[in-house]
Amino acid sequence: MRRLLAGLLAIVASSCSGSQPTESRPSSTDSRAGDAEWFVERAAQSGLDFVHVNGMSGHFYLPEIMAPGVALFDYDNDGDLDVFLVQSGMLGSEAKDATPGLKSKTRPTSKLFRNDLTINADGSRTLHFTDVTDASGIVTTGYGMGVAAGDFNNDGWIDLYLTKFDAPNQLLRNNGNGTFTDVAHATGVDERSWSVSAAFVDIDRDGWLDLYVGNYLRYELARSGPCFGPSGAPGYCTPDAYPALPARLYHNERNGTFRDVSAASHIAREFGPALGVSTADFNGDGWIDIYVANDGKENQLWINRHDGTFENVALAAGVALPISGKPEGSMGVDAADFDDDGDEDLVMTELAAEGSNLYVNDGTGVFTDMSAPSTVGPTSLAFTGFGTGWIDFDNDGRLDLMAVNGTVQIIEAQRQAHDPHPLHQKKLLLRNAGNGRFEDVTARAGAAFALSEVGRGVAFGDVDNDGDVDVLIGNNNGPVRLLINQASQGHHWLGVRVIGPPKGGPYVDRRGGRLQAAQTRDMLGARVEIVRKGKPSLWRRSRSDGSYASANDPRVLVGLGESSEPVTVRVRWPDGKTETWTDQTVDRYVTLKQGEGK
Amino acid sequence: MRQVALLVAALCLIPACTQPAAPPAAARPSLEPVALPDLSNAAESVQSQVRARYAGLEAAIAKADTPSSALADAYGEMGKLFIATEYYDAAEACLENAAVLAPSEMRWPYYLGHVFRLKNDPMKAASAFERAIAIKGDEVPALVWLAEMHLTLNEPQAAEAPLGKARALEPNAGAVLYGLGRVALAKQNYAEAVSDLERALTAAPQATRIHYPLAMAYRGLGKKDQADAHLRLRGNGELTPPDPLMGELADLLQNASAFEARGSKALEDKQWSEAVAQLSKAIALAPNNASTHLNLGTAYYMQGDADRAMGQYREAIRLSPSFTRAHFVLGLLLETRGDDRGAIDEFTATIGGDPKNLDARFSLANALRRNGRVEESLTQYDEILRADPSVSQASFGSAMGLVRLGRYREARDRLEAGVKAFPDQLGFAHALARVLAAAPDDRVRDGRRAAAIASALMKAQRSPSLTETMAMTQAELGRFDEAIRWQREAIDLARQAGRTDLVPRLRDTAQLYEAHRPCRTPWADDDPVHHPRPQ
Repeated sequence: MRRLLAGLLAIVASSCSGSQPTESRPSSTDSRAGDAEWFVERAAQSGLDFVHVNGMSGHFYLPEIMAPGVALFDYDNDGDLDVFLVQSGMLGSEAKDATPGLKSKTRPTSKLFRNDLTINADGSRTLHFTDVTDASGIVTTGYGMGVAAGDFNNDGWIDLYLTKFDAPNQLLRNNGNGTFTDVAHATGVDERSWSVSAAFVDIDRDGWLDLYVGNYLRYELARSGPCFGPSGAPGYCTPDAYPALPARLYHNERNGTFRDVSAASHIAREFGPALGVSTADFNGDGWIDIYVANDGKENQLWINRHDGTFENVALAAGVALPISGKPEGSMGVDAADFDDDGDEDLVMTELAAEGSNLYVNDGTGVFTDMSAPSTVGPTSLAFTGFGTGWIDFDNDGRLDLMAVNGTVQIIEAQRQAHDPHPLHQKKLLLRNAGNGRFEDVTARAGAAFALSEVGRGVAFGDVDNDGDVDVLIGNNNGPVRLLINQASQGHHWLGVRVIGPPKGGPYVDRRGGRLQAAQTRDMLGARVEIVRKGKPSLWRRSRSDGSYASANDPRVLVGLGESSEPVTVRVRWPDGKTETWTDQTVDRYVTLKQGEGK
Repeated sequence: MRQVALLVAALCLIPACTQPAAPPAAARPSLEPVALPDLSNAAESVQSQVRARYAGLEAAIAKADTPSSALADAYGEMGKLFIATEYYDAAEACLENAAVLAPSEMRWPYYLGHVFRLKNDPMKAASAFERAIAIKGDEVPALVWLAEMHLTLNEPQAAEAPLGKARALEPNAGAVLYGLGRVALAKQNYAEAVSDLERALTAAPQATRIHYPLAMAYRGLGKKDQADAHLRLRGNGELTPPDPLMGELADLLQNASAFEARGSKALEDKQWSEAVAQLSKAIALAPNNASTHLNLGTAYYMQGDADRAMGQYREAIRLSPSFTRAHFVLGLLLETRGDDRGAIDEFTATIGGDPKNLDARFSLANALRRNGRVEESLTQYDEILRADPSVSQASFGSAMGLVRLGRYREARDRLEAGVKAFPDQLGFAHALARVLAAAPDDRVRDGRRAAAIASALMKAQRSPSLTETMAMTQAELGRFDEAIRWQREAIDLARQAGRTDLVPRLRDTAQLYEAHRPCRTPWADDDPVHHPRPQ
């Protein structure tokens, strides 16, 4: 009887009563010195020739508005960040090309761009990307959603995991010679579902990256179509019209394959329509946990029990729901220590009228919703946010917030103006004021932030290796954007790449199954403490996950403000060990290898 | 004299003699132009309704002697319709004009506040609500919404004043107390928050939304137990003040989509009668909408009218034979009425059209097993587990099916796997202990292991079934005196639990032990474990 009631009550045809967002007014605080734009958009100029195609056909298929993710990762180990851009393509049998100016009539594909960065003698940068997709052998299939990056086989080369709608996910193994091979089926991670965000994460501290895959909704094109508002106007349905799908957790078997431990780990016991994923040690016990942002349902905080299992404590921890108790959109998510108290706090983007959420950690994995007092919530009310991240954009030592926005319901004013894709909104940049509050500085960030687009994935990383965070944005049915940071001039910084030979032992070589010694790789999950003289430490974390369906630069970039004094760097490795490097001079990148510190 | 008479007569003929003169068009205050928005995406009936009202507005504007109040009403009613149809920009212009023309009418700035709220501009919304309150200070919904906007803007102090006024007017209004509680919570005055939110809950127990902030307030006080208790009770039941003005909007649109939307909302709010009423109207206008029939069926069922519900589900299927959701829900309904054959047909139709529907497949598997079609049920359980190995119920169902078919080795292996995969689901361990103790297959039985498992389980619980299992393990080990003791305890526990129906069978087994014979029937064929009930 209970199942009948649950089944009946779950079956309610949704109406899409969209809200009409209005843009928030920019802050009127004093402007920062300098007239230079903080960010300049350089995608096309640098050779990133890419337009996402969502295949919209007038049927209002929900997958149309959910992609794409983007990735910043160094695929060729030459020290600079390359770019992978997820393509979606046509959807349904009547898809039409709604992207004006699309040059090719062939099926659009995901792209790999090699960064051919040149650092000139005078220190200036010449940024250029080359499309190496064909040369890489990458052939992506199906309707792309997102991407995760991590060296799953410990051979020293970063691999990619691609999530899809209604097509098998792909695991692109980096062969180390500029090419990739899809080994998803061979490794056991080729689930065909609707996956959005994924994260490589070492759940058992064995030195091998396991894989968490967030799944969204059980959705079939043949049985789907528009929902109708009270006036009968068609639009996109809300996710509660469809059942959610359980997530997947794959354990790395250290032999080139993964084992599905979704059930054994308890991850599959509770699930919602997962969109954003962030992995970090939320309760300070030295083990990586997993936070999942679910669309319209309670979010989950999976605390690692150290024995291969996880327990969802989101409700007790205060991060399942905002203070109102109402489940919210929850698309993008990121974790970092924004208040410099040594623990990982959470930010999450939400639907318009909900406002982004900021959950502040008390150090034990219990959080308080500070969305309103921090002004993060009120400032973002007009926006439906997707990709987001904690970045110190001006290198003043405090983590700021950036989000890309774009609605999921038609903006009537844009439809009235006959906009073909009436979902677009501007981005948001909030500067950390250092007192628990944030200041909306979007208006001063540059023309790039005035672009109104349907923002989805965003990846953060130092693309030109000049010591500040740049931003790669995937726009739904629109051009990729690369925002080059010019805001941090005059402030000092330190870039730290934390690598290790994972202790997990040899890996299986792709050629003939020979064993090879495990190579150094980015130690995702390692926590980096910057110890400064006379000031509180700054904590950062090496991570590629977070945001929305995207992969970030795993290097840790720490702004130091006015201080040029050397710092001490203390690294807490994923296996629990800690090492220290003293007297690190600033304004450079350093690579710290596990086993070589004190 | 004649000229004076004529003049007097003329003066009396002028309408201004007896009524205030309507301001001529040229004397009207400056108003926003209101263009008819592009209605092309709205339903035909809605387009007609909007055009008709707009034509009326235009006529009122064109008529130079339209009194300001009448013109205000025309703009205002147009604005309301635009709100209902979600053309908020046009609504804003109309309501601003209405407010200018009729500055003493509270409802126009009140509706304007909602327009800005719906446009996600809480600052403007607050200003508009303040204007409404300045006109009519005792309008509780306006006071509550003003406070809500201040809370949204992170201005809890500013929210206190309007809520204080509202409390003075309606001290026991749930929405007012809820607002005050949230203000206190925002200010981290946890004791006050608890007090107000508890009172709000008392005033509006259906507003399960209150439980979460109340839990946070208790947490702030360090009262974890109370916090946990309220977390468990959390729900989506909303709490807004009774609002006749916004209620007028709800009934403005008379098209099928609007009725469907209102019906769906009523379903969400568990207002079953209202859902029936609205969805019936939707169907009257759009009788071929299978989804609406499905939803109406749900509303009828929740109202307690299963017959009507079934009628609606069948109609949904007639209109759309591939409507798998309708098949599934009809199957669930038939199942509860004991019509397993019908349920099986519907579940089969569901997965025929939607092979990934694991809920339907599970229901089908159970129904098949319940009706002795065990082999077929195994196929379904296996399909579920292939798609999602985490569905423990499918794993257990499969194991029990194997037992029923006498395939004890496979059953044992399936239960072993279940124990590993779902260690906190003790049913697997219990069933394994039974199979190890009493399977007729000698190669499967392992009395020692069975006893160890059963003993471990006994530490956590003591039920007739588990005690019976313990007896089986002892009998398998040849300890018949112990077996008899445990079996007698099982009989006592069954009586205490009111399960006298179990006693005869338990006694029969006891007699086996008295004859120093072990049990070789882990479960009788009529045991509930072989007849999974609709859940």
